[in-house]
Amino acid sequence: MSTVLAGYGLVKKYGSTTALAGVDVEVGERDSLAIMGPSGSGKSTLLHTLAGIIRPDGGQVLLRGERLDNLSENRLSALRRKRFGFVFQFGQLLPELPAEENVALPLMLEGVPSRQAVERARRWFAPLGLEGLEQRRPGQLSGGQAQRVAIARALVIEPDVVFADEPTGALDQRTSTEVVQLLTFATRDTGAALVMVTHDADVAAHCDRILQVRDGRISGHSQFTVA
Amino acid sequence: MRSPVLPLTWHLARSSGRRGLQSQLLAAGAAAVGSFLMLVMIAAALGAGTRADHTTWRTPDAVPAKEATAVQATTTTYVRHEPVTVVNLAQLPGRKQTPAPPGLSGFPKQGQVYVSPALAELLHELPADQLANRFPTVKSYGTIAVAGLASPDELVAVVGRASDDAAVAKTAGEQNYYDEGLTERAPISGFSGSKESVFTGIDQGTVLLGVVLLVMPVVVLASAAGRLGAARREQRLAALRLAGATPRQILAMTAVEAAGVGAAGALAGALAYTALLPALAELPYGVGAWYTGQLWVGLAWLAAVVLAVTALITVSAVTMLRQVAKAPLGVAQQAHPRRTRVIRLLLFVAVLLYIWATTGDSGQLKTRQLLALLALFYGAFWLLGPWVVDRLGRIVGRRAKRPATLLAARRLSDDPRAAWRTVSGLVLAGFVAGFFSVSTLGSEGPRHEGQVAVITANASDARHTATEARALLHKAGVTATVAVTSEDEYDSLPGGVPGVTAQVSGDEEHVDTAITALTPLGSGRYPITQEYVSAPDDTATARVATVSTATLVLSFLVAAASAGLTAAANVLDRRRTYGLLRLAGTPLQVLDRARVRETVIPLAVLAGGTTAMGVFGAMQLNKAAGTTINTSGAIQLVLCLAVGGLAMLGAIAGSRPLLRRVTAGPVQTAD
Repeated sequence: MSTVLAGYGLVKKYGSTTALAGVDVEVGERDSLAIMGPSGSGKSTLLHTLAGIIRPDGGQVLLRGERLDNLSENRLSALRRKRFGFVFQFGQLLPELPAEENVALPLMLEGVPSRQAVERARRWFAPLGLEGLEQRRPGQLSGGQAQRVAIARALVIEPDVVFADEPTGALDQRTSTEVVQLLTFATRDTGAALVMVTHDADVAAHCDRILQVRDGRISGHSQFTVA
Repeated sequence: MRSPVLPLTWHLARSSGRRGLQSQLLAAGAAAVGSFLMLVMIAAALGAGTRADHTTWRTPDAVPAKEATAVQATTTTYVRHEPVTVVNLAQLPGRKQTPAPPGLSGFPKQGQVYVSPALAELLHELPADQLANRFPTVKSYGTIAVAGLASPDELVAVVGRASDDAAVAKTAGEQNYYDEGLTERAPISGFSGSKESVFTGIDQGTVLLGVVLLVMPVVVLASAAGRLGAARREQRLAALRLAGATPRQILAMTAVEAAGVGAAGALAGALAYTALLPALAELPYGVGAWYTGQLWVGLAWLAAVVLAVTALITVSAVTMLRQVAKAPLGVAQQAHPRRTRVIRLLLFVAVLLYIWATTGDSGQLKTRQLLALLALFYGAFWLLGPWVVDRLGRIVGRRAKRPATLLAARRLSDDPRAAWRTVSGLVLAGFVAGFFSVSTLGSEGPRHEGQVAVITANASDARHTATEARALLHKAGVTATVAVTSEDEYDSLPGGVPGVTAQVSGDEEHVDTAITALTPLGSGRYPITQEYVSAPDDTATARVATVSTATLVLSFLVAAASAGLTAAANVLDRRRTYGLLRLAGTPLQVLDRARVRETVIPLAVLAGGTTAMGVFGAMQLNKAAGTTINTSGAIQLVLCLAVGGLAMLGAIAGSRPLLRRVTAGPVQTAD
């Protein structure tokens, strides 16, 4: 398994609070990694640091061997747009756009003509069980459907890594399972890596590996499958 | 038990932090602007009426000859293209003493001349052969006080005459078609009358036109102010609802907070209006600047406006929060777009047809009917506007190539009413200003600039008068071509009336000298000029043009404030979505451009379209009347549109730092 994303010796401090205290992590192609830990353990900081949203105070973040932590804000922003996909807990869809245009948005931002972008976006609806919902707006979708649209949007650019921050946090147990299954399968299908923060052990169990974070350090590492 | 609403609202308002305070200040600011503008509009409308009332004494109601104590002949002469109203008064011998006219200490005796302060200044500035020699020679002029004047800039003279003076003789009151409202004679016993001067009579009507056009944009501004803190209140009150607050308590808290902020702002606006009264009075309109008292609306109006603005903001805020009160989990996303139906277009067409059929009738419409039709048209326009915005959004959305344009288009068809509200004021104001700024309706017909005419009783008098005119003009040093006009000669200043015309070579000073020199030939009537002949039309056109341009400027100001507030409110409403999009790499410029286009697209298409329609209509009329475009008006319009457009963009750009700030960091707390 070749390493797609890696963080070495990651340190992040907020004033006197240390959110990350020298974390090392590697994620390979088709690999799925769940980050777990109690509130304030630093799991979201780790995800944001790996995604280039937060700059670490120490250590390095590498995407296919290229350092991210010293890139300019503009280049980081472009990189997140082109090579990463994001799924958040809720609220990432624009309410005025129908589902298919929400999915097509990242392509349009890359200059793909709108008609073509929407065509490409539509291809994701059937595999994710969203057929017939293309014209619905986020307000007309259930929580699970909205998260599946968000997954489609994250995958439509065929990213290297998908970052998911509590993607099932606002869903019931049954829907959570459906969504996380789709997220892991679809991500793997595209060849992307998945890094997911969750507090739910059942959700984490769908990933290949689980990283336990406590007080900004890796406190445990479980591996369910070998890629 | 004591209601917890007030103390809790106060506590929450105080602890709402910097962002809460910012939105409260912005809302209060918008309320202040709203109440200020409303008060200024009411002041201008009431003040214009008061001004007109101050001119009625110059044309008092005639009484039967037996009851008359005096004769009054009012006429108009021009100096430096400005009208001077001259009121000639003669006490009839053997009759009861006539009371003093308003603004004068007593009824003027023969040979006495009273002048307004502005005319006194002009008499002092200009050589006697350009103005003073038109009046009887006196050692000193009396002063007409405020009670007799409509404006401190008004040029008025009251001249005491002998009862057999030509200036008050029957011939002085003989009217030709162009004398209407400018020259009148009547036997009188006092100064009560209802006929307003031609220079002020139209003022209130035109101001009301502006008021009609501005009322809705101001209401929209106040509503936008009510919306401003909505997102913050929604979050806070959704939490309260979960904590067990009843819908009634939530609405009461919202109402109390919005009313507090609105009332504070509205009061500030009212205070600003009161403090700025002297400065507002300096703004010229029609016959000139105002007396401060004319613009004071009184405490009743002041209180009514403060209450109205407060009520508007409160209603707007409460309406926005109804969903929170109903849904314990807070405001759900708007599930369905607020689409508009084609019935709006059909109703608009039906109203247009009705108006066309009504106004097409042969009978004249009464003012009340006209106002009703205007209100109907305005209502129909408001009905049609959102439908047009909706269609526009769909068309632009289908053709959008860039994500920013697509986002803007989808927002337009998502809530077309909101987009319409922001630009609606400019749509109608643009049409009116576009029409009246370039039209030269008042100049229609032949113009005889530089010509001075003396009206005579008949053709033979005219020949004799021409000889005298040549001599007088020569003596005054004026070079002019003097000609006799006959009854068949319509292409002349008197237009089919016997008289003498002098085509003066030189500038306005020479024209004024010619008028003064020829005054003795008029048998009590002043020589006339182009301004005199076209005064009613020119005055009406000038007033409407002034009001429409002022309305456009104010509409832009109000629309810019509304657009700025709405843009800020939208950023706050969507800060989570914007923040997450930015985290995912969406460039800030895309989000920003979408916000700008959301206002610019309907502004350019609707307001730009109606302004262009207005200009086109005026140009067609100009063409039909054989006149050309009003260049200075057109330049004014272009400047106004350019500055107004920039102000709108600036107002939207004002919330860019807010957008940057709310999307800057990770949305969720990094744990």
